[in-house]
Amino acid sequence: MTRRYSRRAVLMQIGAGSAAAATLTSPKHAFAQMDSRPWFFLTDDEARWLAAICDVFIPQDDFPSASQAGVVDYIDLQMASGYGKGEGLYLKGPFPEGTPEQGYQLPYTPSELLRRGIAAARDEDDLGAMPPPDRSAYVEALSERTEPIGDVPASAFFNELLSLTNEGYFADPIYLGNHNYAGWEMVGFPGAHAYYLDRVDKHNLPVDQPPMGIAHNGGRSTLPRPIRSEG
Amino acid sequence: MAMRELPKTDVVIVGGGWTGLTAAYELAHAGQRCVILERGQPRHTATSFAGPEEHDELKYALRYGHMQDVKKETLTFRNSRDQQALPMRRLGSFLPGSGLGGAGIHWNGQIWRPLPSDLEMRSHYDARYGSQFIPEDLTVQDWGVTYDELEPHLDFFERICGAAGSAGNLNGETRPGGNPFEGARTSDYPNPPMKQPISNTLFGQAAERLGYNPFPMPSANVTAAYENPYGAQLHPCTYCGYCERFGCGYFAKADPIICVYDRIKDHENFEIRFGAQALRVEKSRDGKTATGVVYQDEDGVEVFQPADTVCLNAYALWNVHLMLVSGLGQPYDPETRQGTVGRNYSYQTIAAVDAFFDDEIVTNPFMGAGALGMVVDDFNGDNFDHSELGFVGGGYIACKQYHGRPISYQPVPDGTPKWGAEWKRVLRETYSRHGDLVIHGSSMSTPENYLDLDPTWTDAFGRPLLRMTFNFPENDRKMSDYVMNRALDIAREMDHVTSVSSVNLAREGADYSIVPYQTTHNVGGAVIGTDPTTSVVNRYGQMWDHHNVFVFGACLFPQNLGYNPTGPLMGLAYWTLDHMKRDYLKNPGPLMDA
Amino acid sequence: MPKVSPPMILGATLVAIGAYAMSLNAQDRSEQPAIAALEANLNDERALFNAQVESDIDDDLLETGRLVAMGGSQAGGSGMACITCHGAEGQGDGSGAFPRLAGLPGWYMYKQLVDYASGERPNNVMSGVAQRLTEHEMEAVSAYYAAIDAPYRPVAGTVDAELLQWGGQLGAVGSAEKGIPACVNCHGPSGLGNPPSVPYLAGQYATYMTHQLQLWREGVRNNDAMNVMSSIASKMTDEDMRAVSEYYARVRPDVARMRTDATATD
Repeated sequence: MTRRYSRRAVLMQIGAGSAAAATLTSPKHAFAQMDSRPWFFLTDDEARWLAAICDVFIPQDDFPSASQAGVVDYIDLQMASGYGKGEGLYLKGPFPEGTPEQGYQLPYTPSELLRRGIAAARDEDDLGAMPPPDRSAYVEALSERTEPIGDVPASAFFNELLSLTNEGYFADPIYLGNHNYAGWEMVGFPGAHAYYLDRVDKHNLPVDQPPMGIAHNGGRSTLPRPIRSEG
Repeated sequence: MAMRELPKTDVVIVGGGWTGLTAAYELAHAGQRCVILERGQPRHTATSFAGPEEHDELKYALRYGHMQDVKKETLTFRNSRDQQALPMRRLGSFLPGSGLGGAGIHWNGQIWRPLPSDLEMRSHYDARYGSQFIPEDLTVQDWGVTYDELEPHLDFFERICGAAGSAGNLNGETRPGGNPFEGARTSDYPNPPMKQPISNTLFGQAAERLGYNPFPMPSANVTAAYENPYGAQLHPCTYCGYCERFGCGYFAKADPIICVYDRIKDHENFEIRFGAQALRVEKSRDGKTATGVVYQDEDGVEVFQPADTVCLNAYALWNVHLMLVSGLGQPYDPETRQGTVGRNYSYQTIAAVDAFFDDEIVTNPFMGAGALGMVVDDFNGDNFDHSELGFVGGGYIACKQYHGRPISYQPVPDGTPKWGAEWKRVLRETYSRHGDLVIHGSSMSTPENYLDLDPTWTDAFGRPLLRMTFNFPENDRKMSDYVMNRALDIAREMDHVTSVSSVNLAREGADYSIVPYQTTHNVGGAVIGTDPTTSVVNRYGQMWDHHNVFVFGACLFPQNLGYNPTGPLMGLAYWTLDHMKRDYLKNPGPLMDA
Repeated sequence: MPKVSPPMILGATLVAIGAYAMSLNAQDRSEQPAIAALEANLNDERALFNAQVESDIDDDLLETGRLVAMGGSQAGGSGMACITCHGAEGQGDGSGAFPRLAGLPGWYMYKQLVDYASGERPNNVMSGVAQRLTEHEMEAVSAYYAAIDAPYRPVAGTVDAELLQWGGQLGAVGSAEKGIPACVNCHGPSGLGNPPSVPYLAGQYATYMTHQLQLWREGVRNNDAMNVMSSIASKMTDEDMRAVSEYYARVRPDVARMRTDATATD
C-alpha cells in the first residue's frame, strides 16, 4: 500500500497542543504546495519539534504563526543547502572555547548544530505532549539555560533557532517561508520591487502597498527554485 | 613546483576596489602599464545587481552574498594579549568585500571629509589644551598631511561620486544648511542633498531647537542624473532601501565599477586579472625594494608578476597582512614597542539611540538609502570644548533611515519581550514609528591594540591568519557615553516621541565583540607619518623601508576619525597618485628623508 | 478591505449613459465594462492599490470616470472622449499611436494628465484634452481605467528572435557594456508595473514604447522624477529601444492565475 506522504498531516499531529492548527481558516496552509514532497533534510520528528518551538516564537494572532507561514519549510531548505552545510563558516580546527566576544567557536555546521540540539532536546522532554503554556515556559527556560544541551551550548542552539524562525517569517517567499507574504503584510513591508523616489519626502503618508517578492506572480508567492543536491 | 614568471610590468596593483581601480586609472593615463590582481570575480553594476533579484535580504544582508568568504581568508581575534586569539569563524562586526569593486560595491555611500584638526590631532590638542591633555596610553599622531594639501583631492573624489549635500563652509564663508564645522571647501557638492523622510526631519528640527547645527548627510547615492569627471553616468537614487550590503542596479550609488572601471577597462595600459589571490610581495636581495607580487591564479598555479612599482590596494586589514607575510617593513611588537607594521590599529566606536513615535507619525522605513540621514556634527572631533570632559575625540550624531528590511529591522521599545505574541503585536505597531539614531565615534590608537600574525590558524592558502588584538580604550568609553547623552537630549526633544532607549557598545564593562555588526571601518596598521619610528609609510604613502611600494586605504590612518573613512582615504589616494606621477615615476627613490 | 460601496441606481443610469454614448459614434458598445464588473476587479487588494489615486474609490468616482471616458469631459464634450482613440476598453489601437490605458496605475495616469495639461509632457492632442478636464475628472478617469481588465490584442508582425532575446536581456539585467540599468529595477516583476508611480511595460504597444524612448532620449519628454528615463534612454541605440519595446509588447500577466487568486479563500 502506498503511503501518501503529507507534510500538513505531520504538522497537524502537533495540533493537540495548538488550537490554531486545528482551525486553520486563514490562510491556506503553507504546506499545501509541498504536500507531495518529503523533507529535504529534516525528519518528521524534527519537523514536528521545530514547528512547536517556532510557534512559541511567533504564535498565531491576526497574522499566521511561524509554521503556518512556512518557517519549518524554510528551515528545512536552509539546512539542506549551503548555509546549513557550513558556507560562510571557517571550520579549521582546533576549537578551543572562547569568550562571548569571540563569537561562534563550535566545530559544527548549522545543520549539525540543529540536529544534535534537537536530538538532545527530544531526549530530555516531550515537547509535543506539552500544552501551550508549558511550551512557552520550556522555551523561556531554554533561552536562559547555561548547561549544554547534549554536546552543544544551549545559547548557540537557542540563538540559531530564534534566528532561523525570524528569517523564515520575513525572508522573501522564494525561500519557502513568509508564505503569501505573511510577515511582510504584518509589518507593512512592500517587498523587493522598490521605487519610492516620489514618496520618500511625503511625510506621514500611509502606505498600504500589497507586497511583491522577487518571484512575484499574480499575487501568490510562487513555488521555490529547484534545490541543487550538491552545495 | 616551479613558479611561473611573467614579463615585467610597470605597476602591479593588489586589489580591484576603489583605490586599486583609481590607481590604475590615473597611472595608466600617465603612461604606466598597470596590472591589477583581484582575488575575486568580475561583476557589473547593471547585470550583477539588477532588481528584483538583488533585493534579497537573506542572501545579501544576512548571508553576506557580496562579501569576503571567511573559509578562504579570515583573521583571529582577542581583546587583549592575555587571551588566546580565536578565529572569526563568521563575519559579524565588519564586512570586507571581494570581487571587482570590493567593498565599494556594498558600502553605504556616506562620503565625508576629515576635519582639519583630525589630520593634525596631536599638534592640535597640544596647542589647544596643553601637551599633557591627551591621555598617556593613547598613541595619537599627526598624519603628516594637512587638510589644505588634501582639499583638492577630497573635492575630486566628491565629484567622482557625484556627492549630494549642502556646503557648510564655502571658501571660508559659512553657509546655512551645511556643516559649519567642516574644513573650507573650494566648491559646493556636485549634487543637491537627498530628500528627507519624517524621522530625520523631526530630528533636524529638535537639534535646531537645542542650538545645534543639523545638516543632510553627505551622500554618494546621487540625487540627479550626473556625469562624473571620468565620463561615468550615474542615475538618481530611488530610495529603494536595499543599499548597504547590496550593489546598486540603479546606477545611483557611486561604486568603483561604474565610476572608474568602466572608464578605464579598454585602455591599452590597463589589465585586470580575476581569481588572482596575491600571496606575498617579493623583495630584492638587499631588501630595499620590492620586485613584484606572487599570486595564485584561477587554476591554483603560483605566478610571479614582476614590476617596477608595487601598489598595495587591498582592504586595510589585508594590506597589513600582506606586509606581514611578505616581511615588508618591521612588524610591531607590543612587548618592546618596536616596529611599525601592525601598530596603531583602531576601529569605530558606535552607540545607538532609538526613539519611538506616537501614531500620528508614519515613517515608512522601507523608503531608505545608505546615506539618508540628518547629522549633527557639534560633538565630533574637536568641534566642542574638551577641557573639562576628560577624553579626546568625538563623533557625529545622525538620525538615519537606511532601510526597513524586515528580518533585520525590528525596532521595539526597551522591555518588549524578544519573541511571542506580545513581541509580534508591538512590532507591527512600532515598525513604522521608529527614529534611528547612531553615534559614530572616533577610535583612538593604543600600544595594546595592534595586528600581527597568528601562531595557530591558517587561511586556505596555508598562510598564518592575521591576528587582531583590540578593545575599546577608556578614553573612547568616556567619549561615547558623553556623545550618546547628547544624542539622547536630541531624541527626547523630538516632537511626537513617546519613548527613547539607548545602547552603547563601548559602555563601561562591555568589551569589543566581533559578533554584532558595527562598521566596516578597520583602520591603521600601516600608518602614514613623517617619523619612520612611528609610521610605515611617509606622508606620500610610500613605504619608508621599500621606496617602490605605495600603500593605499584606511590602513594609513594613525587613529580613526569620527567619520566614515572612504572619503579621507580616497583623498589620500589621489594625493599619493599625484606625487607618484609628478615626482616618483620620473626618478624612483625615497620621496622623503628618513 | 476594498473601499467600494454597493452600486445604487445602476441599471437606469447605465441605460441612460448607454443611450447617450450610442448616439456619439459607431463604436461597438457591447463590450463596455459595467461598473459592477469594475467593482469586482477592485475586490482584489492589489487591484485596488493599483487604481487608487487620492480619494477612496466608490462607484460615484468610477461612474464619473466612465462618463469622461465614454463621453468626454463636461467642458470638452464628445470630441474628447477617451474611447475615440483609446478603444472601448482602454486597450488602445493596434497602430500603437494610442497606448493601452487599461490597468495603468491610477496615480501614474493621473500625473500624466496633469502633465499634459500643464505642458510638462508635451503632446499636441493630449494637451487639449487634458486642459479641459477638471482635477476630479482626471482622478476619476484614471481610477476607472486602472480598474479595467481589458483583453490584449495579438501582437502584429514578426520580429527577429535575437532582437527579442536582446530586449528580454536588457529588460531583466540591463547592459554592462552600455551602462544601462535593467528595466525591471523600477518597472515591476516582468515589467508588469510598480504602482503607484511606475507604469507597466508588459502588453503596451511596441511602437508607442519605442516612440516614448526616443522622446526621452531627445529630451522632449522629461516629466519623470529626477530625469531617470532620459539618462537611461540616452544610452540606448535605436535597436536597443526596439528590442525592449518588442519584447515587452509580448509579455502578458498570468491572467488566469490572477483570477483564481483573487477569488481564493485567503
